[in-house]
Amino acid sequence: MAISTAVVLAAGEGTRLRPLTRNRPKPMLPAANQPILQHVLDALVESGIDRIVVVVGYRRERVQEHFGSRYRSARLEYVVQEKQLGSGHALLQARSVADGPLVVVNGDQLVDSEAVSRVVDAYEPGETVMAVVERPDANRYGVVRLEEDAVVELVEKPDDDAYRLINAGIYAFGPEIFGAIEETPRRDGELILPDTIERTIAAGSVRAVRTDGLWADATYPWDLLDVAEEVLAGGRTGSDPDGIWIDPDARVHEQATLQPPVVVGPDCEIGPSSVVGPTVALAENSTVGSNVTLSRVVVDADCRIGHGSTLLDAVLGQNVHLGPAVTVAGGPGDVSVGNRIFEEEALGAVLADRVDVGGGASFEPGSLVGPGVRVATGVVVGGNVGEGAEVRR
Amino acid sequence: MCGIIGCFGRGDDTLDTLVDGLEKLEYRGYDSAGVALAGETLAVCKTAGTVEELRSALGARSMAGHVGIGHTRWSTHGPPTDENAHPHLDCEGEVAVVHNGIIENYQPLRDELEAAGHRFTSDTDTEVVPHLVEEALAAGESPERAFRSAVERLEGSYAIVALVEGHDGLFAARNDSPLVIGLGDGTAGDPNPEQFFIASDVPAFRAFTDQVIYLDDGEFAHLDGGLTVTDAEGNRQSKAVNTIEWAATETGKSGYEHFMLKEIHEQPRAIRQCLRGRVDERSATVDVGEPGELSPTGVQFLACGTSYHAALYGAALFRDAGVPAQAFYAHEYATAPPPIGDDLVVGISQSGETADTLSALREAANRGARTVALTNTVGSTMDRECDHTLYIRSGPEIGVAATKTFAGQLVALNLFSLAAAERATTRRAVVPALRDLPGDAQQVLDESNAEAVAAEYDSAKSYFFIGRGLQFPVALEGALKLKEISYEHAEGFAAGELKHGTLALVDDQTPVFALVVGDGEKARKTIGNIKEVEARDAPVVVVTDGQNDAARYADHVLRVPASHPRAAAILGNIQLQLVAYHVADRLGRSIDRPRNLAKSVTVE
Repeated sequence: MAISTAVVLAAGEGTRLRPLTRNRPKPMLPAANQPILQHVLDALVESGIDRIVVVVGYRRERVQEHFGSRYRSARLEYVVQEKQLGSGHALLQARSVADGPLVVVNGDQLVDSEAVSRVVDAYEPGETVMAVVERPDANRYGVVRLEEDAVVELVEKPDDDAYRLINAGIYAFGPEIFGAIEETPRRDGELILPDTIERTIAAGSVRAVRTDGLWADATYPWDLLDVAEEVLAGGRTGSDPDGIWIDPDARVHEQATLQPPVVVGPDCEIGPSSVVGPTVALAENSTVGSNVTLSRVVVDADCRIGHGSTLLDAVLGQNVHLGPAVTVAGGPGDVSVGNRIFEEEALGAVLADRVDVGGGASFEPGSLVGPGVRVATGVVVGGNVGEGAEVRR
Repeated sequence: MCGIIGCFGRGDDTLDTLVDGLEKLEYRGYDSAGVALAGETLAVCKTAGTVEELRSALGARSMAGHVGIGHTRWSTHGPPTDENAHPHLDCEGEVAVVHNGIIENYQPLRDELEAAGHRFTSDTDTEVVPHLVEEALAAGESPERAFRSAVERLEGSYAIVALVEGHDGLFAARNDSPLVIGLGDGTAGDPNPEQFFIASDVPAFRAFTDQVIYLDDGEFAHLDGGLTVTDAEGNRQSKAVNTIEWAATETGKSGYEHFMLKEIHEQPRAIRQCLRGRVDERSATVDVGEPGELSPTGVQFLACGTSYHAALYGAALFRDAGVPAQAFYAHEYATAPPPIGDDLVVGISQSGETADTLSALREAANRGARTVALTNTVGSTMDRECDHTLYIRSGPEIGVAATKTFAGQLVALNLFSLAAAERATTRRAVVPALRDLPGDAQQVLDESNAEAVAAEYDSAKSYFFIGRGLQFPVALEGALKLKEISYEHAEGFAAGELKHGTLALVDDQTPVFALVVGDGEKARKTIGNIKEVEARDAPVVVVTDGQNDAARYADHVLRVPASHPRAAAILGNIQLQLVAYHVADRLGRSIDRPRNLAKSVTVE
C-alpha cells in the first residue's frame, strides 16, 4: 500500500550528546558535513515520500531555518512539541496534520531509503510495520525478538547479549496509532512509542522487515567520528571515486595534501603543507592554516585552525577558534559522562561551539570542553570543562 | 505598488494558481484583492482586504475558466474598497484589467470616456484602461489591436494584464513597472511549454517553473498557448530565457510565526551567500567582478528607507578608504541632483524596482554618470538599466520590514569598497572579520536576550537609538524597524547630536538604545552621551561587544561577539531587529504586513 506522508521526530535535544547540543538538537549535528536529519530526509524523499511533517521542539529555529518549507521534491511542515515528553508524545503532535497511513522515523539516526521503502511496501492497513537491523552491539539499543516476521518482544537496552536485532526506528502506522498512544500508560511522565507498539503485539499485528543498509546512531559525542566514517565509506557525500570531495567554493592550497576519505565544504580554506585526512569532514567556511595535521576529525562550520596545529580523534563544534600549534594528541582516553567513565575510547577531545583556544595549548585524551570555553595560551587541558569557563595556567 | 498575476494553460487549477500566486505577492500590497477568469464568459471576484479574505469570498461562488488574472493592491488612487479592488471592467463586463503603477493622464482620459457615455464605478486610475479597450473594440478593432490602442493612450508607469471575453489569451504591457513571464511546466529548455505565467515578481509562479523572460519597458506580450513579445511598434522581439537559481522552498514561512522572524534567523545564511566565492582570507583579496574594478574617484549612493541606511554605511566605508563619498535620498536627488563630475553613482534597492531610486539613477545616467546597481533581484529594472550590478544574494525576502537584505547590503558594500578602493592593510583586517560574520551572527541569534529586553520596554512613550561612526546608520535602522512594525514612535541619532535638541524629549519613559563597540574614541564619546541621557533618568540599553565599559552605565545589555567595527554594525543590528520584532509581537501588530506600507515602493 502506498504511503506518501512521513512524520520525522526531531524535537529532542539528545542530552547524552552534550556539550555539542547546547545550541541545536541532535538531528542537526553533523554526519560528515550534513546534519543527520538531512540524511534522514534524503532517505524519505528517495523512497517516494512527498510530504514530510517534522516534529520540532528543542532549538527548533535551527531545524526550520536549515530546511525551510521544501526539501528536494517533498513539502515540509512543522509541528511543535513544546515539552519533550517522549517519542509517542512527539508523534501525537502530528495528529492534526497527518490522517492516512504514515511512515514515522527518528530524525536523529542515519537510515537509508531501502529500509524506508521496505517498510512502506510491507504495510497493510490495520497493522504496524517496523524495520529491524542486525548489530553486533545490539544491547546498546532497543532490541527486537521475532517469530517469523512477527514481532514478539521489544526490550530497551537488555542486560544480556543474546539479542542481535535492533529497532531501526522506522515504522509504518495507520491513523489508529494516535488513539493507541493516548491509551498507553506514561512512564516517568513520558509517552514512549515502543511502549505503544509493545501493547499492540498481543493483537499479533506488528510485523518486522529486515534491512541491511546504512544505519548509524550517535549516542555520545565521540560517536560522531564513527558516523562520519560510515557516511564517508558509503560515499554518501558525493560520487568522487577517490574518496576526496572538495566543494567548488573551497580553496585548497596546491601544496596541501588530502588523504581519503575527506570532505571539504564550501568557503573552506586549507593552507600549504597541511595534511588533511584520512577521515576528516570539514564543514563550510572553516579555515585550516599552514602545516596543520588533521586525522579522524570532524570540524563543524566556521572553525579556525591555526598554523602548525595537530588534531587527532577530535570533534569540533561550530565557530571553534584554535590559535597556532594547538595539539589534540588523540585517543585512547577515558571519558567521563555524568557518573559514568568510558574507558579507552578513541577520542582525543570534543570542543563544543565557540570554544576559543590560545596558541600552544594542548588537550589530554578524552577531554570534553563545553561551549564558549576560553583556553589561554600554552595551557594543558584534561577532563571536562564546563560551559563558559576560562582556563588559565 | 501592487502585485499582479496572470496564467494560461493551468486548466481546472487556474483559480487556485492565481490565488496561491497572489499570496506570494502580498508583500507588494494587501489592502484589497481580486481575480477574473475567462471561460465561456468573464467572471470576476474582488474584495477589500487580504488574499485570505478573497479566498473566503471565492468559497461562496463557483468560477471556472482556464485563463485568468489576479491582483493584490496597495492603494494609491482611492481607498481600499470592493469597488476600487482590481480587476476593473468595462461597461459590459467583457474586458478585465489588472494594473500596477500610476496612470498620470487618467483624469483627461476619464473625462473623455465619461463624455462618450462610459460609466465608471471606482476611484482608480486603472479603470480607464478597460473602457479604452472597450472603445477600441467598438470601433471594430481586434482584441490585440484594441489592447494596444488603449495602452498607447496611457502616460505614466504601468504593468498591465488584460482579458477580453471570447478571446482565449492574455494581453500584457509594461512601462516602468516590473513584469516577468514564466514558461512551461518547469522543465528547463522545453521548446514547447504548455503553461504560461505572468506576474510582478517570480515567487508568484516559482512553484511551477524556473524558466522566465523579463519584459522590457515599452514591450507587449500576448500569451495564448504560445508567447509573442513585441515592441511598441509591433515588431517581434526575441527574448532571452533566464533560469531562476533559488527554489520555491525559500518563500514559505517554514514553522516560524512570521516571515520577519524567519528572515532574521536566515541572516547567517544570507551573509554566507553574499560572501561565497568572493573572498580569500590567506591573500586578503576580494573579487566581486566588474564593480570591483572601477577605481572610483568619488561615489554617490542613492537609496530610500532601509537601503538609505546601507548607503550611509557604504559612503562611510569609501571615505575611510580616502574616496569622497556621500549618500543621498533618491527622491531628493531625482529632482535636485548635485554636481556629479566623474563620480560613480550607486543605487541601492532590495527589489531593484524602487521607483524613486530608479528615477534618480536615470537622472544621473542622463547626466553621463556611470551607474552601479546594488540589489537582491536578478533581472530587476535596476539590474538591467545600470552599467554594472553587484548582487547581495540574500534570497527572497517577504516580510515588509527589510532584515536579512540589510545585512546582505552591508556585507556587499564591504566587498565593494574592499575590492574597488581599499588598502591591503584594511583588507587584511576586514576580510577575516567578514568570514567570521556568519558564525558571529549565529551566536547573536543563539544567545540573544532581546525578547526579555523587549518585554521591559514594550510600553515606552518613545524610543531613541544612538550610535557614532558606522554604528550611526544602525541607530537609524534600529529606529526605523521599530517604527515600521510596532507603530511606536522611535528616532535614531548620531550619538553626538542628541544633546543639540532632542535631549529635551528624554525622560524616564524614553528608553535609549546605544551602540558602543570597540574601545576607541568613538566608544568613549558615546559613553559620554549615555551619561547625558542617564542624568535625565532615561533607561539605557547598550548594544556592545564588551571591549569597553559601556555596560556599567546600562540598565540592560545586548551583547555581540567582539569583532571589527564594520562587522559589529551588522551584529548589533540583529539585536535591534529582534527587539523591534518582540516589541511589535507583544503589541499584537501585523508584523509581516504593517499598515500603510508595502515592500517595494514602485511609485514615486
